[in-house]
Amino acid sequence: MPTGLKSALIVIVAAIALGGAVWTQVRSASPRSEAYQAARTADGKPDLSGIWQAVNTANYDIQSHPARPALALTPAPPRTGVAGVDRATPTDLPAPAVRPLGAVGAVPAGESVVDGDEIPYQPWAAAMKKENSEHWLERDPEIKCFMPGVPRATYMPYPFQIIQSTDNILITYEFAGATRIIHMNTVGDSPSPSWMGWSRGRWEGDTLVVDVTDFNDQTWFDRAGNFHSDALHIVERYTAASPYHLTYEVTIEDPKVFTRPWKMRMPLYRRVEKDKRILEYKCVEFVEEAMYGHLGVVDPATGHVNR
Amino acid sequence: MRYRSVAVVLTLAAASGIAAFALTSAARSPTAASTSDIPSYATPRTAWGDPDFQGVWRYEAAIALERPSKFAGRELLTDAEVAEADRLEKDQEAKRLAGEEGEAVGRRSVDESPIRGNEYNSFWQDHGRPRKIYKQTSLITDPRDGRIPYTPDAQKADARAAARYGVGPYESFLDPDTGERCLTDGVTGMMWQGPNGGHNQIVQSPGYVTILHEEFRDRRIIPVDGRKHGNIRQWFGDSVGHWEGDTLVVDTTNFVDRTNYEWASIWTRPSETLHLVERFKRSDADTLEYTITIEDPQTFVKPWTAVIPISRIPDGAQIYEYACHEGNYALPNLLSGGRADAKKKAGK
Repeated sequence: MPTGLKSALIVIVAAIALGGAVWTQVRSASPRSEAYQAARTADGKPDLSGIWQAVNTANYDIQSHPARPALALTPAPPRTGVAGVDRATPTDLPAPAVRPLGAVGAVPAGESVVDGDEIPYQPWAAAMKKENSEHWLERDPEIKCFMPGVPRATYMPYPFQIIQSTDNILITYEFAGATRIIHMNTVGDSPSPSWMGWSRGRWEGDTLVVDVTDFNDQTWFDRAGNFHSDALHIVERYTAASPYHLTYEVTIEDPKVFTRPWKMRMPLYRRVEKDKRILEYKCVEFVEEAMYGHLGVVDPATGHVNR
Repeated sequence: MRYRSVAVVLTLAAASGIAAFALTSAARSPTAASTSDIPSYATPRTAWGDPDFQGVWRYEAAIALERPSKFAGRELLTDAEVAEADRLEKDQEAKRLAGEEGEAVGRRSVDESPIRGNEYNSFWQDHGRPRKIYKQTSLITDPRDGRIPYTPDAQKADARAAARYGVGPYESFLDPDTGERCLTDGVTGMMWQGPNGGHNQIVQSPGYVTILHEEFRDRRIIPVDGRKHGNIRQWFGDSVGHWEGDTLVVDTTNFVDRTNYEWASIWTRPSETLHLVERFKRSDADTLEYTITIEDPQTFVKPWTAVIPISRIPDGAQIYEYACHEGNYALPNLLSGGRADAKKKAGK
């Protein structure tokens, strides 16, 4: 997570600036402060404008997880060097494809962002999640620079910006240049399923509530293989909890995959650096070799394909 | 695979043999010499007091970027030529709506089209409303000849780009152009070109103007808060904006060098020496007068300027998600085709 250190610093700076109360909230992943009143926009709505970022490990795994050597693992071979001694190897090894990354490719431990730390999969779906995690390298859409979907876009290790206008609120994510328009006025139905869904927003008191539907079944919740179907329906709640952080809650409903709706919640922190920007992360050109390189380079004179 | 707007405009004009693309602001104002002559319009304001450019915008004028040779020496069409072009445009629109295809609607049918041009791409083509007929014979106003002042090398690159489209070679994934690779067609043409309609949505908040271009989900987040340029090179450079009265002026530098990639149009490619200045001004309720000045010694012998009238799409219009890379089946298919071709040639 390249921005992790910097973000941690920001949080610390923000906490010092605000004093102990906010620090306590940050540590407890922040049920929102009832006392805090967000600044207002020109048309009198709570002002959520700014550049925000999650500082957690949810993109690795939304559930609680210990640290492990890599996202793709392979069983360690038995150690047979000493006859008659059975010495179990404590951990699996990084899969050959990711082994050279060493500590950079390892997975940091993290607490759950899922309420109750339990995802109520139907039995077939629990099996599919396990299979997904075992085939992470081939299946995770993040690897291919595909649009991340929602809510994953929110807690990827990249900032996103809320551009708050009157009729629309635009959320624009650094990863893959993904964007969403949140329609605050009446809008027709989505003409087709999509990666980032179809977002309709409304204010409930000081909370921006976004109802998102019309997803396709291609996106995941994390690198652990947590997934959904095209019946996914989510409701997000964004609430300013201090000048420097929002609370984010999302309810996930998908009758094809889960037995009941479930929730995630986490704080989102303001990137307070002066002149901070959402930068380009045009990852398409970063993944072409991985996606198309196996087709090799053809020599037009001989027709021979060099791989 | 996609078609290119410029290519299609050329094809349309060639096919119909008319002055279809040499036009200026005569659609609603036949006597105006250019869009900048339209009397000043009271630009609406956002709730926080900035000039308001929000909404969905699309280039609907039938003006070529570069002046066609048959209009050499003429900056404007006559009223009679404008009237005839307008009549033809509306006639073709009526025929399109009646379900006719091919020559009658100003394009070749799928059957008669070679690989270049309209073939199955016409399925994806958004005709929208009839194009607006203007008097001007090119979008380029400076230099006066209405032509892009390419360097000799860039001229060659442009000819090569035109010749390779739909033909190849496709030796590796680096051979298709940036659009075919779902990267972008370039920021300089973003506001008014687009293979599937070229819709742009502008969303503003205090201190920011954001432009979402439907194709390739190109996105620009332009700070208009007095900050200076940063120092990070990007495909779309580093843009900073400021207000000059009701005009938004955007200055962009710090482009990456992607001149070694294939581009559909050479004039949209970024290089480290590219400097783009854009001016956005609402000339009336439905028109954005968009002026670009492009300077890049690597590609052009001198700076050039184009004035582009862009139309507002009525309220309620949306842009939609453009999942290009996510569904780019064409790219591996192009490469397979390239391999089959090479094998066949080598076998002969």
